Order: sequence, then structure tokens, then C-alpha cells
Amino acid sequence: MAEVKKKGLNTNSNGYTLIYSTIIVVVVAFLLAFVFKALKPLQDINVALDKKKQLLYALNIRDISDAEAAQKYKDVVLADEIIDTKGNVVDKGEQGGEKAGFVLNSADYKAGRLALFVCKVDGQTKYIVPVYGMGLWGPINGFIALDADKNTVYGAYFNHEGETAGLGAEIKDNVKWQNLFKGKKVFAEGTRKVALSVVKKVDDPSTQVDAVTGATLTSNGVSDMLIEGLSKYLVFLTSK
Amino acid sequence: MEHLISLFFRSIFVDNMIFAFFLGMCSYLAVSKNVKTSLGLGLAVTFVLLVTVPIDYLLQTKVLGPDCLIEGVDLSYLSFILFIAVIAGIVQLVEMAVEKYSPSLYSALGIFLPLIAVNCAIMGASLFMQQRINMDPSSTQYIGSVLDSVAYATGSGIGWTLAIVSMGAIREKMQYSDVPKPLQGLGITFITVGLMAMAMMCFSGLNL
Amino acid sequence: MSKLFSKENKEVFVNPLNLDNPIMVQVLGICSALAVTSQLKPAIVMGLAVTIITAFSNVIISLIRNTIPSRIRIIVQLVVVAALVTIVSQILKAFVYDVSVELSVYVGLIITNCILMGRLEAFAMMNKPWPSFLDGIGNGLGYAFILVLVGCIRELFGRGSLLGFQLIPESAYHAGYLNNGMMTMPAMALILLGCVIWLHRAYFYKEKK
Repeated sequence: MAEVKKKGLNTNSNGYTLIYSTIIVVVVAFLLAFVFKALKPLQDINVALDKKKQLLYALNIRDISDAEAAQKYKDVVLADEIIDTKGNVVDKGEQGGEKAGFVLNSADYKAGRLALFVCKVDGQTKYIVPVYGMGLWGPINGFIALDADKNTVYGAYFNHEGETAGLGAEIKDNVKWQNLFKGKKVFAEGTRKVALSVVKKVDDPSTQVDAVTGATLTSNGVSDMLIEGLSKYLVFLTSK
Repeated sequence: MEHLISLFFRSIFVDNMIFAFFLGMCSYLAVSKNVKTSLGLGLAVTFVLLVTVPIDYLLQTKVLGPDCLIEGVDLSYLSFILFIAVIAGIVQLVEMAVEKYSPSLYSALGIFLPLIAVNCAIMGASLFMQQRINMDPSSTQYIGSVLDSVAYATGSGIGWTLAIVSMGAIREKMQYSDVPKPLQGLGITFITVGLMAMAMMCFSGLNL
Repeated sequence: MSKLFSKENKEVFVNPLNLDNPIMVQVLGICSALAVTSQLKPAIVMGLAVTIITAFSNVIISLIRNTIPSRIRIIVQLVVVAALVTIVSQILKAFVYDVSVELSVYVGLIITNCILMGRLEAFAMMNKPWPSFLDGIGNGLGYAFILVLVGCIRELFGRGSLLGFQLIPESAYHAGYLNNGMMTMPAMALILLGCVIWLHRAYFYKEKK
């Protein structure tokens, strides 16, 4: 490296190096803090909006702009309740709520604090239930919308938070596949055990969905997630 | 314990730095010409990973995360800078140590020792670690303690070493093969890595 | 103004775009390049992010190149790059959230992208800000070009779509056409890149002789 001396200033002296690094660190720290503070509100809105959109996707409301999505969410979601595994309502939430069931994550879900979104689409009551599980490459989650009978699937959306998007990403992007869930039943005729699942060879077309071609392991993950997740809501789903 | 073991093996085979995430490709391609230097660089990377990932883990959980230092202050936007600073510092130390105790290795690794600082595998491991802290604790990829981060770092390092040493061996053999002229060197190396990555995918079904 | 676009400067800008393409010739920065190419959109965003960061870090380093103590120059470079990358990643999160989720840690990995450090060391430390800026843009675009090319091929054959729009008609699927699942696998990116380099060399080596 060519040693450049600027007007007699020795850029290699210890003192200079020290002062220089201090200045750089301070400048950079302030700059970043400023950018972070300035953009944080926007980011929070985005994170919330993303979740709202996923919920709307589960209700088959797709192709929607960001501005519309926020409004639509407010109109459609009557309450973001929190219930426990026995079906008791812990927190009633509120219309278009973003504070109760909306903020729950997979840890709350494991601990038995379950989110339940009560929605009204075209005058009919729908319930959205979030589920969490593991795909091949990383965590996956999904939202299952159910009709008022708490048995018929109204719509489904799956998301893949993983690190690499390979074939597993199909569960997120393949709308055609997600639409296969429409009209399926959670319970097989006359039973009280969750039967909604993803399989390679469909035996019972009323509860089973074809696996994504080439993504068998991720599909298995979705299947486990559905059975485990919906079982948590068993008391709620079977109560009339 | 079980979690540590599955995390360790998963990091070597399934979440392999090279074959699944393409991390650390620059030095991987440049140094993998023979087995001996490959092994040297692999060990250096493993060592640096082993030191930096736990440090970065502590930084992330004790200093940078939300509400860690001061209630209500989230410093996570400083994570990139702090992680890279830790890595650059550790690499500097390793470089000095290698230069002192093993001059032959030092001359063999040449420019690539300082380049470990900008080796994506190392920064990548820290960033993945940061992402995995927030994961579901029942997942095999979850990192929830310093021990987890050590297991993850060792596994990733060994996986990287495995990848670079096997590549070194293949390239040693390949010298005697008749590769089309324009494909020689970089081109064929890429295709080889691709094929190896495909072979490694058979581990992805491993239920750990 | 004419000086700004003198022949030399033009070369600095144009060279990396073809013969001197950073990935093909200098083998730099491949690391983070490939994992995000399974679709076109993240590939484009990634390419743009790298271009912007390369250009601006080149300018900043070139501006302060005479004041940097040589002992800590690598650290100073890293700090400048890391700061820029943090800013870009915050901006991505604030304005194109869905893409930033898809890029996940690969935005952070731009810091360790060898293209950046390579250009800073080789060019910005010795040149004035304006040529450095052009050099950064040129190299960044060269890099972006490869990403977009690989992203195009993978999305078209792997999913039958480009930028999310279905290109291969439904009737083709009924006639027995299947998306090539291999293309969405990480391994395929490497093999494709190998082939791109092969073609590139086959073409340009002839020209040189």
C-alpha cells in the first residue's frame, strides 16, 4: 500500500489510527441509528401487513394491493381471539385486531395459547386457525380457514420461512395446490380425529390432498403440521 | 444432548455450507487445487467458526437483541457491523499465530488467510445463527444456548472442510482427464461442485 | 463534462460488462450469488443491491483513501461496507418486505462478497471518486447480469414462469410437459453457472486468438 502523507500528517501513527477509528465508529453508529429509527415504523407496518395478507390469502382473497389489504383485514376479521386447548376464550380480541391473537407466535402456540380469527366473508362466519410445523429445510407455517361448521375447509395458505427456497417453496407459491384444500373436511365422516392431511396417494378424497410433486418431504411436514396443529383446536372444533 | 448431536450432524450433511448454501465459494474454488492446502484452509475456517459463532451468539443474545442492554432498545441493526468486526479481529489473531508457528502453511495459504475475514461461510454461519435463535425450539436447527452454537459451528466447519478436501482430491485426479479446453479450470469445477451438491442432497431425507 | 465520459472512464465502466465480467473472469463473489437465483425477482433485487453497494462503497473509500491508516484499512473498508449493507437491508425491509424475506440472510452476506472487497482494494484505493463510481456500477451490473441470466433459466424451466407470470401455457402441461424440479434445486445453479462460463470462454477465447 502506498503510504500517502497528507500535509505532514502521519497517517500511520498510533494516535492518528486511534482517533481515526473512533471517528469512524461514532459516525457509522449515529448514521445507522438514524436510519433504523427513521425506517422502523415502516418496517413494523410491513411485518403486520404481511401477516394480514397471509390471513386474507387463507380466505381466498388474493391479488390485493397493500392499501386495500389493511382495510380489508379490518372489515373481514371480527376478532383475533386467544383461546386455550380446552376451547375457553382467554382474550376476546377486537375487530381488525392487531394486539391479541394477531401477535401470537409459534412459542405461544406450543404453550397452548392459541390464536383464533373469527371472520365474516359475504355474511358468513369463517374461522382461521394458524398452524406451525417443520418442512425439509426449515420452519413452515400456515393458515387454515374453516366454514362455520368448523369442519369444511374454506381456504388455506402456507408459508415457508426457510433459508433456501428449493422445491419446498412450492407450498408457498403454488396457489393451485393450496386451492386443492378448498372443500376438504377436517374430520372423516363420523369420527372425531383430525384426518385432513397431505398424501402421495389419495384414499379418501374428502379429507386428503395430493402431495406437491417432487416435494414429498415438505408435503409430509405440512401433513404433520395440519394433524398436530388442528388437534390442538380439537375441543373448539368439535363443540357446536 | 440429543439435540446437540442432531444439530451437529445436520450441519455437516444436510445444511452443508458449500452444497446447500454456497457459502465460502471464493476461497473454496481458489484453494481446492490439492488436498493438502485444502485441509489447511478447512481447519483454519473450522477454527475461526468455532471461535466467532459462540462470541456472536453471546453478542446477539446479551447485547444486541431487543431489551437486552436497556429496556425497550433494540440494537439488532448493529449486528452486521459487530459480527464482521469480531470475525476480522479473530482472523487477524489466527493469521499471526499461523505465521509464527507454521510458516509453511502460511506461505501455502498465502492471501487466503486474510480472506477468511471475508469468507461468506463465517459471516453466513453467524447470520444463520442469528436467524435460528428465533426458531421453534423443537426444530433440529434451533440454536438456544452457547453449546448449541458450538455444535453448529463445529458441524458447519467440518462440513466445509469435508467439501473442500473432497473437491481437492477430485481436482487432483482431474488433472489427468481430458476436459474440453474452454471448460477447463473454473467451468468444470463448478459443474463438479454442482454434481457433488446433488449427491449430498440424498442426505436431506435424513431424519435426525 | 466531456472529461467525465472520457475514453478511459468509459472503458472502466464497460469492461466489466463483457470480457472482464467479475464472476466469469475474477471468480469473485460467487458465494451469495447463486442461492437467490431460483426465481428472477430476488435475483434482480440482489443484483441491484450489490451494484448500489459496490458503487457507493467504492466512492466512499475513494474519497477517504488518503486518510485511511494503512494498518487498519481492511477493517475500515469492512465497516464502510457493513454500514452500507445495513442501510440497504433496512430499506429493503421497509419498502419491499416480501423480497427481503426471500433474500433473508443473503443481504447480510453482501458484506463478505468478494467483489466488494476486491474492487475496493484493487481500484478504489488508488483512483479518484468518479472512476471508482463507474467501476463499481460496471462490476455490479456485470454481476447482476449473471444472476439475472441464471435466475431466468431456473425460473422458466423450474416453474414455467418469469417474475411470477406463467409463461408456459396450461395446454402444454396437459400435453405431458412437466416443470423440471431439478432446476429449483441449489445444485442446478452451480451447473448452470459452469455452463455459462464454458460458453463464455469458448466464445471469447476464439476471439482473442
